[in-house]
Amino acid sequence: MKALEVKGIVKQFPGVLANDNINLSINKGEIYAIVGENGAGKSTLMKIIYGLYTPTSGEIFVFDKKVDIKTPYDAIGLKIGMVHQEFMLIPRFTVTQNIVLGDEPSKGIVFDYKKALNEVEELSEKFGLKVDPAEKVANLPVGIQQRVEILKILRRGAEILIFDEPTAVLTPEETEDLFKTLMKLKKNGKTIIFISHKLKEVIAIADRIAVLRRGKLQGIVERGKTSEVELARMVVGRDVVLKIPKAEAKVGGTVVSIRDLTVKSKRGIIGLKEVSFDVCAGEIVGIAGVEGNGQAELVNALIGFTRPIKGTIAFDGEEIRVITPFNIRKKGMAYIPKDRKMRGLVLPFRSRENIIMGQHTLYPFSKNGVLNNIEIDKFTTKKLEEFDVRPRDIHTRARNLSGGNQQKLILAKEMSMEHKFLLASQPTRGLDIGAMEFVYHKLIEEKERGMAILLISLELSEIMGLSDRILVLYNGEIVGETTPDKTTEEELGLMMLGLKKQKRVAQ
Amino acid sequence: MNSNIPFLNASIAQALDYTAPILFAALGGVMSENAGVVNIALEGMMRFAAFFGVWGSFVSGNAWVGLLWGVGIGIVLGALHAYITVKWAGDQIISGVAINVMAMGMITYLLESVFKTTGYSPPVAYFGAPASKIHLAFLKGIPILGAFAELTILIWFALILVVVLHFVLYHTVLGLRIRAVGENPHAAETLGVNVFKIKWFAVISGSVLAAFGGLALSLGTLSSFTNSMAMGKGFIGLAAMIFGKWTPFGALGAILIFAGAQVLQLFMQGTATGFAKLIPLGFYLSLPYMLTIGALIGVVGKAVGPASDGVPYKKES
Ligand SMILES: Nc1ncnc2c1ncn2[C@@H]1O[C@H](COP(=O)(O)OP(=O)(O)OP(=O)(O)O)[C@@H](O)[C@H]1O
Ligand SMILES: [Mg+2]
Repeated sequence: MKALEVKGIVKQFPGVLANDNINLSINKGEIYAIVGENGAGKSTLMKIIYGLYTPTSGEIFVFDKKVDIKTPYDAIGLKIGMVHQEFMLIPRFTVTQNIVLGDEPSKGIVFDYKKALNEVEELSEKFGLKVDPAEKVANLPVGIQQRVEILKILRRGAEILIFDEPTAVLTPEETEDLFKTLMKLKKNGKTIIFISHKLKEVIAIADRIAVLRRGKLQGIVERGKTSEVELARMVVGRDVVLKIPKAEAKVGGTVVSIRDLTVKSKRGIIGLKEVSFDVCAGEIVGIAGVEGNGQAELVNALIGFTRPIKGTIAFDGEEIRVITPFNIRKKGMAYIPKDRKMRGLVLPFRSRENIIMGQHTLYPFSKNGVLNNIEIDKFTTKKLEEFDVRPRDIHTRARNLSGGNQQKLILAKEMSMEHKFLLASQPTRGLDIGAMEFVYHKLIEEKERGMAILLISLELSEIMGLSDRILVLYNGEIVGETTPDKTTEEELGLMMLGLKKQKRVAQ
Repeated sequence: MNSNIPFLNASIAQALDYTAPILFAALGGVMSENAGVVNIALEGMMRFAAFFGVWGSFVSGNAWVGLLWGVGIGIVLGALHAYITVKWAGDQIISGVAINVMAMGMITYLLESVFKTTGYSPPVAYFGAPASKIHLAFLKGIPILGAFAELTILIWFALILVVVLHFVLYHTVLGLRIRAVGENPHAAETLGVNVFKIKWFAVISGSVLAAFGGLALSLGTLSSFTNSMAMGKGFIGLAAMIFGKWTPFGALGAILIFAGAQVLQLFMQGTATGFAKLIPLGFYLSLPYMLTIGALIGVVGKAVGPASDGVPYKKES
């Protein structure tokens, strides 16, 4: 039986044809993956199915019935649920409150919270998705929050579950858990549509894979009938080298020197404990670790968002006593944040405004406080081209860029700023493989130009491929220092879980 | 000390009288802002209602009719604020300022044209008249509780409303939805919660509460409208709401601290000896305002409101 069919879907945004006559037919009980470049139109298509956008033309059939989906509420009524990339949760509510909202068990007008708790408990048992129903969502790690989202739509009786890049925010462990969940749901007869840029994942789990490129359906491949390389070629339209090219480090002088850095986390406990290391010119130092083991604290201390309770940070041999984002950037730090919407961009601003932010007071962008629009536009046009931000229109608002293109805009902004030190926190999150390859080349190019780079990533392959030195963070401490040729992903994995330690050479 | 009991009770009763209008305003703010709509027009709405209450009572000779007029104007103003901020997703601060400015001008004009006076309306039937008060004679003479022996119905209503609003917000389906809309309207919408309806309801009912605040001034404490109303009490209510972290009991607590300063002032005035007599009266008078400023600059810790408070809600295209 067909769970979902779309016929001739077209979505025209001002100046952008996001979906161009798309036809898909998805069977009940199938795991259906959609892949494609950044801006190919994947999210747009899903939002149309979920009633967030109205298509310019085209038809949608759900369980063989033609339907008209105007709002997400209509979609829910048709048993379609969507787990968005940014979760639609209320952090201050409990798991249970989030799940039952809009369809609450009640006695008269009174909200029957006890019954709701029980219902959630039962639901979580039925689908094998463990959650603590009474816990506040704000206290949950991302992987569990996603579980809450899944339970939320399951409670509404969802039969078709849409996931937009569900693994982009997950750690490898959480990803494995999610895949187990998806398999369970499939066994329960649910239909799953999921979007991802990680082709390895897609090949491992999907029954069929649809490839989109520039709004058009490029082709559909069956399970087991493709390889990563072939799929990559379909996605980008050319051969992609997935292996990261090796480049010897020509290590120069120390740029950033961190000693005994101890930082409190947002929750008030010690998140980073007496961490010491250097980053030298011309090298990439990779920080490996499971999310939540001190990365955020390290980043926040470096950029000046949190004041360390102990320890020092020196830049070019000079200790900076009180770090502010302003003074550390002035010294020559560039920063690619992992959260592009919170820290990376001003969403209502246009590309041309976002891209000069941070250098907007400098020549040639402004003089005596007056912006020089001609120079800004010239610069933006050049950078959009160089970093392949699509659409090339310098007037597009950041809000209307696809996720991957937002990321490219941040890269363009940060990398074109005068700097000696680059702090890159998950720089490839949400990027398609073509763009990923581009970022890897950029980072290596930077290194060869003598930049000091600190790379924080949850992807072991990225850490192994790019780093000259690897530091492993576990529980706020550096539990190991090694180089890619002296270790394996397995060994790193053990260290990340705190199961293995490695002596460091004294600093 | 014993001889001070009647005086203490009287001071507390006076403090409760001071509390009621501010409490109504604060609860109005709690209602509206939990649904994500900032209402800085509480002050202006109080002024409108204070005047319309007196007008209605003047015309009919019955304070209850005045009350209805006050509630009526509260509904009208609430609907206006909701129309601008919910229906058209307009700026909530601008709409609030507009209503406040309108209250200044329009009520001054109405006062002159209805009563042919400047500054004061003539006295009218009111809830503070000895016969209209709620008499609980058995409480008389007991320290502190004695203060509750003779209160107006509006004061009792304000106090009961704290409990009612707490129950509504935290124990009913409606309350859960109101708070959900104030936190993340998009999430609520996708789950089938009618965001607009909830916001309309919260804004109008919050405005009606503010209207009660105005009525507590002109038909509770006094028996006439004075042109200085609402004397900043709507703004103090707003501060109390923030001080109380957007919860009904929190707001009550905040106002009781403000009112405590008042009791202290009244009590000191009568009984202070020695050093306490040296503290100037103006200090006590300004204490609530200083506390308010303290609250606003975050002496009581970070005051975090509903996540989408003040953010106009629009549907995606
Ligand atoms: N609301 C909007 N207004 C204008 N243009 C939009 C809007 N939403 C998306 N677009 C454009 O439509 C195109 C497709 O975007 P979409 O978000 O569907 O891409 P995607 O395939 O999900 O990409 P990514 O992998 O980067 O998330 C992009 O060029 C984007 O800029
Ligand atoms: Mg997308």
